[in-house]
Order: sequence, then structure tokens, then C-alpha cells
Amino acid sequence: MFAISLMNGLVMGVIYALAALGVSLVVGIMNVVNFAHGELYILAGYFSYLFASALGVNFVLAMVIAVGLVFFLGLLIEYLLIRPTYGNDMYSLILTFILSIVLQNAYLLIFGPYPNKPPLWVQGATDVFGLFLYGNQRLAALAAGAALIAVIFVIIKKTWFGRIIRAASQDREMAELNGVNTTRLNMLSFGLGCALAAAAGVILAPVFPVTPTAGVPVALTAFVVVVLGGMGSLWGCVVGGLTLGLVENFGAAFISSGYKNVFGFMILILVLLVRPSGLFGRAKI
Amino acid sequence: MTGKRLGFISALILAGMCILPLGLGIYPQHVLIVSLFYVMMASSWNLLAGYTGQVSFGHAAMAGIGAYTSGILAVKAGIDPWIGVCAGTAIAALLGLGLGALCLKMGGIYLSLTTLAFSQILHIVIVNEYDVTRGTMGLQVPGLMAEYSKITYYYIMLAAAVLTLAILYRMIHSNLGLNFRAVQNDEVAAKSIGVKVLQVRVLAFTVASAMAGFAGGLYGHYLLLITPEIPSLDLQFNVLAMTVIGGMGSFIGPVIGAFALNILAEKIRDYGEYHVLVFGLVALVVARFAPNGLLGIWRRFRTRPHARSSNRLQD
Amino acid sequence: MALLEGRKICKAFGGVQALRQVDFVVEPGTIVGLIGPNGAGKTTLFNAVAGTFRPTSGKIIFDGADITGLPANAVCRRGMARTFQVTRPFAAMTCLENVMVAAINRHPEKPRSFIESFAHEKLSFVGLDEMEGFEARHLNVIQKKRLEMARALATEPKLLMLDEVLGGLNTQEIGQAVEFIRSLRDRLGLTVLWIEHVMGAIMKAAEQVIVLDQGQVLMAGTAAEVVTDQRVVQAYLGE
Repeated sequence: MFAISLMNGLVMGVIYALAALGVSLVVGIMNVVNFAHGELYILAGYFSYLFASALGVNFVLAMVIAVGLVFFLGLLIEYLLIRPTYGNDMYSLILTFILSIVLQNAYLLIFGPYPNKPPLWVQGATDVFGLFLYGNQRLAALAAGAALIAVIFVIIKKTWFGRIIRAASQDREMAELNGVNTTRLNMLSFGLGCALAAAAGVILAPVFPVTPTAGVPVALTAFVVVVLGGMGSLWGCVVGGLTLGLVENFGAAFISSGYKNVFGFMILILVLLVRPSGLFGRAKI
Repeated sequence: MTGKRLGFISALILAGMCILPLGLGIYPQHVLIVSLFYVMMASSWNLLAGYTGQVSFGHAAMAGIGAYTSGILAVKAGIDPWIGVCAGTAIAALLGLGLGALCLKMGGIYLSLTTLAFSQILHIVIVNEYDVTRGTMGLQVPGLMAEYSKITYYYIMLAAAVLTLAILYRMIHSNLGLNFRAVQNDEVAAKSIGVKVLQVRVLAFTVASAMAGFAGGLYGHYLLLITPEIPSLDLQFNVLAMTVIGGMGSFIGPVIGAFALNILAEKIRDYGEYHVLVFGLVALVVARFAPNGLLGIWRRFRTRPHARSSNRLQD
Repeated sequence: MALLEGRKICKAFGGVQALRQVDFVVEPGTIVGLIGPNGAGKTTLFNAVAGTFRPTSGKIIFDGADITGLPANAVCRRGMARTFQVTRPFAAMTCLENVMVAAINRHPEKPRSFIESFAHEKLSFVGLDEMEGFEARHLNVIQKKRLEMARALATEPKLLMLDEVLGGLNTQEIGQAVEFIRSLRDRLGLTVLWIEHVMGAIMKAAEQVIVLDQGQVLMAGTAAEVVTDQRVVQAYLGE
């Protein structure tokens, strides 16, 4: 029980971290919270299902196409809805919330209320350290998620694009003065944030099938992770994601499974009480 | 508009609202009662989003708190529904105070995130605590009076809505209302001239939460069956769409929005459950292109000459 | 006794040290100029003093009390008012309402009629009474600066802190503005702490001048002492 909860917690933690990275990136650079984050996660799941299961495209290719499509949708959302609201955070909150409801209802209309599931990448199960049998698909999801997080860290810490991102999330005006085109940067980072939601979606959809409203708890968890880790902090996402994944799964195993998502909320309250800027957060200027 | 004229028009509308249901059948009366519930919800949500610039996604959850508090007290302890509604209002206010104090010092985004999480958690708790809440089956509760009468419920809801609107009107036109708008316009500037920003925000959130709890409590005892539909994101969305489309930040906008959208929803229902999608798309367009809603469009149309003269002054 | 005193004020943003051990004194009834090259930390000092943010270390004594770390609204209640370098009017409120917000928080117990005439009086003092029914977003930059001044005056401060109020004015208007600021002291008995880039104006109006450079006090003295000081000249030329 302990070992399997640990394993589940790790898998979920990595996926939470991945989903939260997208939110954190956008908050850090644009000070915008995308409430439709979970619906984009779901959309990628539907896309990969559509291409792989219905059209018979190779599953890896289907995943790549799904993430790419959501990336472009993200660019479009930024251009049409977010860009005009700069300087008024309230409207971006309202607009993305409306968008999330619109998307949920559109999915319901198009795909129906039934769960949809893209094909598994791998079959069978592996005996982990002789302790328990664990589904290969989940192990693959863990590996893919961890690898993707590593790639993102390398991009942000080592590349030219990453330097710009870090500069802009430290001090927007300064970055602008130094010739960074913040309009384009915003668009790109919003698209990237959506693509990260999509990546989490395609990795997790074979394990947890997608339904029109399945994105809500995922997005909420991502938001809790971002607050826990500190808004805009990338390390905070990883540590926060893993913490939340573990707490939820241990809580579900040893306290009550029905209240799995409530533990995250408890953590949120605790963080706001004790250290509102989060584990790795900068104090507000 | 002068005070006298405003009072006259309000009295006229109120008289009209009193006569309105008399000739109508049961079903239109029901639609009107639900509309009045939404008037209370949208107007009090507008106090937050329209007047103090904070977006709560837990307004429906607060209505749920009011409904379930009163319902559970009535079913489990046999407490009179009227007292239950008062208790529900008080608990919603307390929760509003707690949540507000907890996250508003960190800024608006935190309130939106926390209230969204709160509404989700409330949903989970209601579904899980089947023994107390009857989960998704719904909790059967007694009515507000011994003998069920649609028309009496209509007058009760009308009185409640008028009370809510009167309190909101007084607030918005008092010193507090000036502080609200100052905070919404520019928090830093407001602080610099002595406005206790945090206090003002928490107060607005507490009052709005209490009003949602009050509306929810009455609504529950009208429906006689309290389900997780009340504290749901769908209902939250309806409230938001009504306010945004009607006109955020204007007193009468949410009232118009509530009636228009609720009546329209009934019409769309004849063709299927598309109204949420339709309202969503409309709200998206309105919030993007006409942030002051239908009322804003109408006002701009009406006051164009005046706007032009003030533009000239700017040059 | 000094009205405002800063003791070893430091402020760091991340790794950047914006203020280093800043000491200064503002005597009551004086006009004090705060000058320095761009990025010297003038506005940062204002923000730290007025409670927009807490200094990393150091003390701020105002009117005999330690106000370090008090929120801006509490600092305002103690009698300190300010304007902003980039103006921050309540854009969707009328000019009168803008000033009324300040008035109701100074006199919460007074009736609406008093508040309105009080606010009107402040607006006419800065020459904006004709605009009182217009929303603040319709004003031009200079009018917005005046509106902020009226708003600040309506809090009935002892100390008024002005952050670059002369930007965009021509020579004649600058002269009038200097006269106006002087009259604040002479007629209302206010103490003024004034950030300005227009050196000539500061030299005409200020009894004391504090020079900041790279987050440190370069020197403090009378206007005449400051303009002839070699270090000050160098700091400006080196810009």
C-alpha cells in the first residue's frame, strides 16, 4: 500500500508539475492566469484520441500533432482574447473562465459525455523491485513527463530564448527597454504554456481517459501547485507538483479516497496562511 | 437622472412587477422566480467584479452554502426554514470573511484561484457526505410556508430581490461605494490617499457572499430539492454571463442581464441544452468588445454628443 | 525637531541594491528638493518613505513616530501625501469623485454636502473646478498632475511629496508652477519634499537640496552649495 501510493504519487506529481509549468510560465511573464488551461489539456487528449484511434495515425505522431495544434490555438487565444486586456488582469480572468466553460460545452456537443481514450503506448506491467506490479503505461508516462520537464529546464536555463523569458519575468519594463519585443514574447509564452498543458494531456490521456469536464480538477491542481511553489517559479512547480502528487495519493490511500482532491485545497489554505508567496516565491514588490 | 424621477420610475417598475405574475400560468411564474434569484446573484457578484475589481468564482458555492445550511438544519434539526435562511446567510458571510482575509492580501488572482478551488471542494464534500446531503440525489427540504403557493413564493423572492438591490444601492452611493470604485480604478493610488484597501476588499467580498447565501437559502426552499446543481460551475457561469452581458459595473445591468438570459435560456431549451454554449460565446464577444455590456452599448449610443464634447476638451 | 527623518534606509530588489544607507532630514516648513541622475533611487526612496513597500532595513521617523513598514494608507492618515511620477488618477471616476475619495477618508464622519464642497474647494485651488464633472481619463497629462495634487491636498497633509510635477510644462508654466508650490508652503504651511529634473525650478524654490546618486546620498545642502559642488557636477556629467 505504501509503495504503490508512493509510485502513484510520483507519476501524478510529475504530471502535475508539467501542467503547472505551463501555468507558471504564463503567470511569470504575463501575470495572466489561464483558467482554460485544463480544457486545453483535455483538448490535446481528444486530438490524440482522434488521430490515433479514429484515423489510425501512429500514436507518437498523433501526440506531436495534438500538441502542435494546441500550441497554435494558444497563439490564437492570446491574439484574440488576452492581448487586448493587458493592464486589466480582471478581464483576462473573466475571459479565460468563459472560454473554459465554452470549451467544456463544445466538447460535450462534439464528443459526448463518454470517456475517450487514445491507445496505450505499451502493454503489460512490470514488477517494481519485487514489491508490486505496476502498469507499463504509467511507467512510460512517468518517464515521458520527467524527460519533458528536463528539456524545459534546459531550454529555460541554457538557451537564448530562456534568457529572455527569465529576464521578462524578473522585470518586464527592463526587458522592454533592452529591446525585447514583449508583444511577441507574450504570444509565444502563452502558446508555450498551452502546449505544456497539451503535453501533460497526451501523456496522461491513455491512463486517465478524457471527458468534457475532466480538465477542471487538473487545472485546479495545477493552480494549487503554482501557488504552493510560488507564482512564476519553475523549481517551485517541480517541488510543488511532487509534493501534491504524494500528499494526494497517500491521503487517498490512508485517509479517504473520496477526498483525494480536498487535500490539495488544504495545502493551498496552509500555504496562504503560513507563506503566501509560496515555497520558492519572490515577495511581491 | 434626478432622485425624484429615479424614485418614481423604481416605484412604477415595482408596481409592474407586483401585478406581472397575476395573469400568468404556473410555468411563467416559475421562470420569473428563478429570474429573481439570478437578479440577486448577479447584482451581488457585480459588487465584486463591477465595483471593486475582484473576480470570485465561488459565488454559486456561497449560494450552495446558504441552501445546504438551511436545508440541513431544517431536515436534521427541524429548524424553521426562515431561521435556517438567516443561519445560511451568516455562514456564507463568515466563509466570505475567512476566504477574503486569507487571500486578498496577495491580490486579485489569488481570490479567483482560491474561490474556484473552494467551489470544487464544496462539490466534492457534498457528493461524499451522502448521509447528510443526499449527494447528487438531492436533499428534500420543507417549503417556506405550510401550503405551497407559487404566487406567494414569487412575492417572497421579489421582496428579497428588492431588499438586496436596496442595500446594494445604498452601499454604492455611500462613502463605501466611492472607496470601492477607487480600489477598482487604482489600488496603489487609493492606498496613497488613505483608503484601507484590504479592509474594503474583504468587506465587499463578505457582503457579496452573505447576499449569495441569502439568495441560495431562499432558492433551496423554493425548489424543495437541494442538489449540487446550486453550487456548480454552471450556475457560477450563468451569474457571470448575466453580469458581463447585462453590464458590469452598472447598477441595473446585472438585473437586465439576469432576466434576459434566464428567459432566453428557457426558449433555447426547447431546442436542446445549448444555452450555456450560446451564452458563453456571446459573453466572450461582449467581454472582449464591449466591456460595459449591453447597458454600456446603449449608454454610449445615447450620450455620443456629450462624449464628443469631452473629447474635444482633452485636446 | 525634523518632520521627516530617514535613518540608514536600504532597499534591495532581488540582487540589485537600489538604496544604500540613505540618511536624510526634512525640517518642518521647508521646501526640500530631491535630485539625482536617472536611476539614482529617488522614486524608490519616495516609495519606501510613503509605505508603498517596506525598506529592506533602516528607519523612517515621521512627525515624531516610527512609521517604518506601515502600509501607505496608514502613512497617509498620519499626514503624508504624495503624487506619482506617472499619474494614477481614478480614470473612470469624475474629478470631483477623485478628490472626494481622499476627503471621505480624512473626514469619514462628515456629511456628503461637506465632502462635496471640501473637494470642490481643493479642485478650484489647483484650477480644475471647471472639469469637476468630467471623468479623469478625459484629462491631459498636466491636468492629471493637478488632479493628483488636489487629491493629495484633500488628505490635509503636513508633508506633501511631489514626484516630477513639471514634466511637459513650458518655461512660463514652470514659473507659475514654482509659484504655486511656494504658495503651498506660504499659504497652507505645508512642508514639501520634491523630486524634480528641472534643476532651475528646484534652485529657485528649494531651501534644501538632497542629491542622490547610485542609491546613496551624494550630498545635502542649500541650492547654492549643491550647484557648485564638484561631486554633483560630476555625477550629472557622468550620466
